Parts: sequence; C-alpha cells; structure tokens
Amino acid sequence: MSENKFETVSSCVDNFQHNESTFDEIIKDEHLSATWDRYHLIGDVLRNDTPDIFQFDLSAEIASAIADEPTILAPKAKNVFTLKFKAKVVELAKPFGQLAIAASAAGLMVLGVQSNVAQNNDTILPSQIVQTIPMAGIAEPVSLNFQQPDRASQKKAYIEQQRRFYALLSDHQQQIKLGSVTVNVVDNANKNTETDTKKVNEYNK
Amino acid sequence: MKLLSSTLLLLSLSFSAVADESKSAKVWLDRLSSSLKSLNFSTSFVVIKNNQAQPYHWFHGVDENDTQLEIISSLNGPRRDILRIGDIVSYIEPESPPYSVTSKQISGPIPAILSGDITQLESGYDFISVGRSRILGRPAQLIRIEAKKAYRYAYWLWLDQKSGMLLKLSIVTKKGQQLEQIQFTHLEVTQKLSEPLLQLQSTELPIIVDIPQQYLQQALQWQVNWLPEGFRQVNSNRHKISLTKQPVEFMLFSDGLVDISIYVNGTKEKKRDADFVMDGATVVLNQVNKGIEVSVVGKIPSQTAKAIADSITIMAPKAP
Repeated sequence: MSENKFETVSSCVDNFQHNESTFDEIIKDEHLSATWDRYHLIGDVLRNDTPDIFQFDLSAEIASAIADEPTILAPKAKNVFTLKFKAKVVELAKPFGQLAIAASAAGLMVLGVQSNVAQNNDTILPSQIVQTIPMAGIAEPVSLNFQQPDRASQKKAYIEQQRRFYALLSDHQQQIKLGSVTVNVVDNANKNTETDTKKVNEYNK
Repeated sequence: MKLLSSTLLLLSLSFSAVADESKSAKVWLDRLSSSLKSLNFSTSFVVIKNNQAQPYHWFHGVDENDTQLEIISSLNGPRRDILRIGDIVSYIEPESPPYSVTSKQISGPIPAILSGDITQLESGYDFISVGRSRILGRPAQLIRIEAKKAYRYAYWLWLDQKSGMLLKLSIVTKKGQQLEQIQFTHLEVTQKLSEPLLQLQSTELPIIVDIPQQYLQQALQWQVNWLPEGFRQVNSNRHKISLTKQPVEFMLFSDGLVDISIYVNGTKEKKRDADFVMDGATVVLNQVNKGIEVSVVGKIPSQTAKAIADSITIMAPKAP
C-alpha cells in the first residue's frame, strides 16, 4: 500500500478532501478502512474526546443488535408494563376488603376500579397515551462523554409517570361526570340534611 | 382624509360582515342544539384520536311524554354505555358497577354544550360560519367555534343543512392541526322512536348515587390565580384517585365547552420538572415544586396547562 494513499485517508479524516470516489475507495479497501478507523481514534485521543468504555467496532455491534431485534417492538414493552401493573394491582386490592365502603359515588368508583382491574388488563394499559413530551431542560448532550443515567431507574420512573398520567386522565373523566351533577346537588343541598358525614370523613382519610 | 374615510368605510363593512357571519353561525348552532334535543335519530360515529378510531352508536328520541331518551354506546372493547331517561343519566363502564346520576346532560364523546345553551360560550369564543362542504354524502355547513385567544382549542363543526344535525367535529389548534375528530358514519332521522329506545323505555336504570354534600364545594387551602377567561369553578373536593389511591385536593373548572381538572397533593419529591402527555386533545400535565405536586388535565394547550399550574399558590393555613 503506497504512502500516498494513507495520506489521502489522513486528509479525508481531517476533512480536507471531499471526493466521493476517494471515500468509495477507502470503504472498499479493508486495509484503508482500518487505517481510517485508527486515524479517527488517534484524533479522538488527541482531542481528549474518548468515551469511558471503548467499543472499537460499534458498527458490527449495531448490525448484530439489529439482526437480533424482534420485528415488532411495541408488544414487548407492553408485556413488561402489564406484569408490573398486575403485581401492583394485587398489592392494592388486598387491603381494600378491610375498608368500609362509603356510600358516596366516589367510593363506588374506587371499588369498581379495584375489582375490575384484575380482569381487564387491556383497559388499564395507557394505550391512549401516545407520547411523553418533556417540557423543559431535557436536551441531552450528544457528546460521547455523556454518561447514560441508570437504565432501570429511568424505566421505573417512566412507568411510574405513565401510570400517574393514566390515573389522572381517568379520574378527570370520572369527575366530569360527577361535575355535571354538582349544580343539582348544591341546589338540593338544603333538602338533604341527612347526608352521612361520618362516611365521607372516613373516605377522605 | 380620503384615505382615512375609505379605511373607516372598509372597516365598518368588514365589521358588519363579521357580525353577519357570527349571527348566522349562532343561528346554525341554535338549530343544532334544538335538533339534538327534539329529533328522533339513530347515528353512528367514530372518535379519531392518537391514530385510533373508536366507533359508537348514538340513539336519541323524545317519547309521548316529552321525555328525552338517549343511548350512547362504545362498540369496540369492553362495554361502555351511557343511558339517559329525562334527567337521569346512567353510566355502564368496566371500571365501576353501573350507576346513575341526576343530570340533564350526558358527559360522553360529544360535548354536552352542543345540545345546551351555546350563548354561554360567547365570552371565550367567536362563532364563524365558514362555508359549505360535503360530509357523509350530504351538503354540510362548516361552523367554527374559534377561541378568542390562543389559550384554548377551536372546535369545527360540520352541520347537516337539511336536519341541522352534527356530521363531523374537529378539535383544532390555533395553527390548524387537528387533534381529535368525531366523524359520523351514519345518520337517520325518523318519525318514531328507534327499537333500542323503545327497549330503554321499559328498562330500570341503576340506582342514583347520592353524592354527600360534604363531598362538594369544599374549601381548600390553595387557589388558582390564573385561568383563561370564562372558566368558572364547578366543584372542589378532597378525594382519592381511584387507580393510585393517592389522596388529592381537587378543583374542576369549566367554560361550558372545556373542563379543566386541577389536582394538588403533597409528595416526597422536592422538585420535578413539568412533564405532559396528550390523549387526543386532552393534556395531562404534572409537576412538583417545593414538595407540592400539581396536575392539570383538560382539553387545553400544554402551555395553558403549564400557566395554570404555575399560577397556583398555597394559602397559609388559618389559625383554628
């Protein structure tokens, strides 16, 4: 391999030469492309721009990862969520029996949700919620130095957040249904002096 | 001078044109309201949001005693039916045992205000009659309920020229992006009550839940300092979110068309930046500041939700 060619690679790496055919030549030649990799690495080390962990052949890694990837990704994520949720539901459902059932509408609703959740997993999945859009300060650094936050805790926080969003959304819809009643009830308030204060207080605890 | 007068003339002309438009739009909306209340109709529609379509049947009629009968049922997935006989509305949902409430309106996919008094929307919205198009194979009139300021979404309605019925509804951002759509796929206006309504007549509705007075309009130790114009408080209470059992303090606001729920509760976290998701046009926004978690839910732009959340102040507890 002539010295000349290595020089060409070097100038390509340094962005001095933009010739399609030269690039093609480098890509085709195994020896030259290895040189290309090495020059880049040298450059990175010189610029103090190396990651903490070296992965010399990222492209091969990615290629194999893609090959291993299942065709549809979505259901996989869904399963994880269902399983976690089920565990939670059981946890939540247990102590419920001990609670006194308040005669308020909201009380009925809590009961309903608790008992139905276990059977209808489909309805619980936040399938309606499409995207999480962080509002501010989430621009992540693109540098190789960037350290990934702990994956597991990130995922947990995400699931927690999705669950919170879904709970809020369904409560909102429930409250609207009751909200349309409010006006009537307030009107009738004077007639209904016998409402059960104790039960409400119990419920609110 | 000449320029000034001609500008004035032009202005007055355009004003009267706008006034005309809004007047005719108002007439259309009033007609829609009376059609929804008085006609016997059987319809199907789909709600399109988040790239999903949810189909519904909707039956409405008025019996010989002038009692309104209404059924809205979701056709896919677990059964969700809403039944109404006069002032009693029953919700049949997978989340809870069937229950009834006393209400003149159904809270479902179709905004209840469309069959109510549209006049109360005038403070926050302009009514604009836009033009004609063809929807569901019929000539239709497009009426836009446009938010006066960017704090709210616009509602575009396509109304049947013949019956005044709703044929299509879109919730649209100020930039013209459609977030949610209701498209009717079938509409039949009949003289007699349809079969499902005849069955409903002889159906016994679930018991009416008694909502204790204490559950309503409770005084809370915080206040919302900013809301878009026209919103008034509908309810405030303390309750537990049914799915998470999280105790919250809650306020519900409405401008007639849009409902906004605000939740406030204490949390272990000190601070979490605002984060939100969209379900069609409904935004769910959540943030933690100084150990207080605030959530805002409603069919409003996320910026509006953020502004509302930021405007909440906690009042110092009163001395006993």
